Amino acid sequence: MKHMRALNKKAARISGYVAAQTADAVPDAVALDVVALQDPRPTQTRPHVPTGCALMFSPGWEVDSAGGTAGLCQPVERDIYDCFVSCYWPAQVPDHLNNSPDWASKCAAATKDWRNLDLIFP
Amino acid sequence: MRRLAVLFTVFAGLAGAGTLYLPAYPASVLVFDEGKGQIVDKIPLETGTPMSIKLSPDRKLIYVTTIDHNGIEVIDVATRKVINHFVLNTPTKQYRFWGGAADPSGRFYYTVTKEIDLDLNRFEVHKPMYTIIDLQQQKIVKTFEVPKEVSDARDFDYAGAAFQISPDGKYIYKFGENITILQSSDFKEVDKIDLAKPEFPGMQNVHFGGGFGPDLDLLNEPGQHISLFNSEDPIVHSKVFGLARFDLSTRQIDFSPIGPSPNGMSEFQVTPDKKAAYTVAITGIHGTKSCEFWAFDLDNDQVTKKAPVPCRTRFTLGISSNGKKLYIYGAGFDIEVYDAATLKYEKTYDLNTDVTYAGIVVLP
Repeated sequence: MKHMRALNKKAARISGYVAAQTADAVPDAVALDVVALQDPRPTQTRPHVPTGCALMFSPGWEVDSAGGTAGLCQPVERDIYDCFVSCYWPAQVPDHLNNSPDWASKCAAATKDWRNLDLIFP
Repeated sequence: MRRLAVLFTVFAGLAGAGTLYLPAYPASVLVFDEGKGQIVDKIPLETGTPMSIKLSPDRKLIYVTTIDHNGIEVIDVATRKVINHFVLNTPTKQYRFWGGAADPSGRFYYTVTKEIDLDLNRFEVHKPMYTIIDLQQQKIVKTFEVPKEVSDARDFDYAGAAFQISPDGKYIYKFGENITILQSSDFKEVDKIDLAKPEFPGMQNVHFGGGFGPDLDLLNEPGQHISLFNSEDPIVHSKVFGLARFDLSTRQIDFSPIGPSPNGMSEFQVTPDKKAAYTVAITGIHGTKSCEFWAFDLDNDQVTKKAPVPCRTRFTLGISSNGKKLYIYGAGFDIEVYDAATLKYEKTYDLNTDVTYAGIVVLP
């Protein structure tokens, strides 16, 4: 008996996709299942990386590794693009690789014209 | 009028008459004329933000890798045009790679890739693989498993593809905690130079480069390199730095220790005449951080001059095409110029564009 039902349109799309693949008699239907981070799957040896960008939460944007600001770039806007480009601090700057690839396209020198950067709402 | 022309020529010569190629945001390579002191061209990239830049051994091509969709672009130096570009990613697969090297013929590109599959709500990250990319077919043609002891090494994710190709294209020199020599056809290991116990009395645990990974400077001769190295003695474990000279053809390495190691050192830049070299030595951390230019005499392997320099939190050291000027750039939009003879500040060029940390190509 299926205990979960889709409540919004995105969930309905996922259910429809899985059902369609199962209906096509894919041999390993379990591989198409949606996996949650805490889903206990003894056969899974590698961690599930959630869709997004990175799991980096170390300081270095607002404060340096010693908890101060002396180790930050001066001015701190010098660091914006190098943090953005490799998705190094996804909580502080937008996700470059997956969701906001064109965030920096309106200005070339962040220190000079950071006011032209878009606000991003997750 | 003739006197003015002579003066102008002299001034231009002092500044260097070469060209700098600087990877920049959001997706271009800046062409900077040293003589004019300004950007003269901007090469737009089709595949995204540049993350590495490397000159071919014959100096006719520039290879640029981009991060947005894991792409490769090839720039013809003479025309300053992109003559080849493609991406490795598909809608559901990413092939993340960092650096690498092209073979002398320009046909293949050798690197380490990590395949990432996009599933319904998660990414599946696979093991890193040695990879051969065919630049003509514009796709991955062969992959080989990386031995676990190699992929478990520190900094492998960022420096795993620290490759240099032998002049005949048959071997790949992989620089890491050891120097591993691999066959370019199948990445089979044919030799290894153990840096834990180099053939030099009183040394162990040699690490190349002073900064972020090995830093090999091409000495204008195919297969010849020179680099800084750090090591420690096996008794007291005091750290020593010095110069290492490689001949990739003969696989000979000569170590020349110089003195106690500072906390860190930047890139190692050699003048075109191979008689002098420069680096920035870093001591302290955060609020107590201080930097100094160190000038080396390569004939005698000695530090000949030191001078303090205000250092940025992140920066890259470069050298002009004639070896007379030192550049500090990176994490920003400007290049600070210092005179190599006096190690004094001269001026700042405003590029009006942030450059990436992909490096720089300098051509005379």
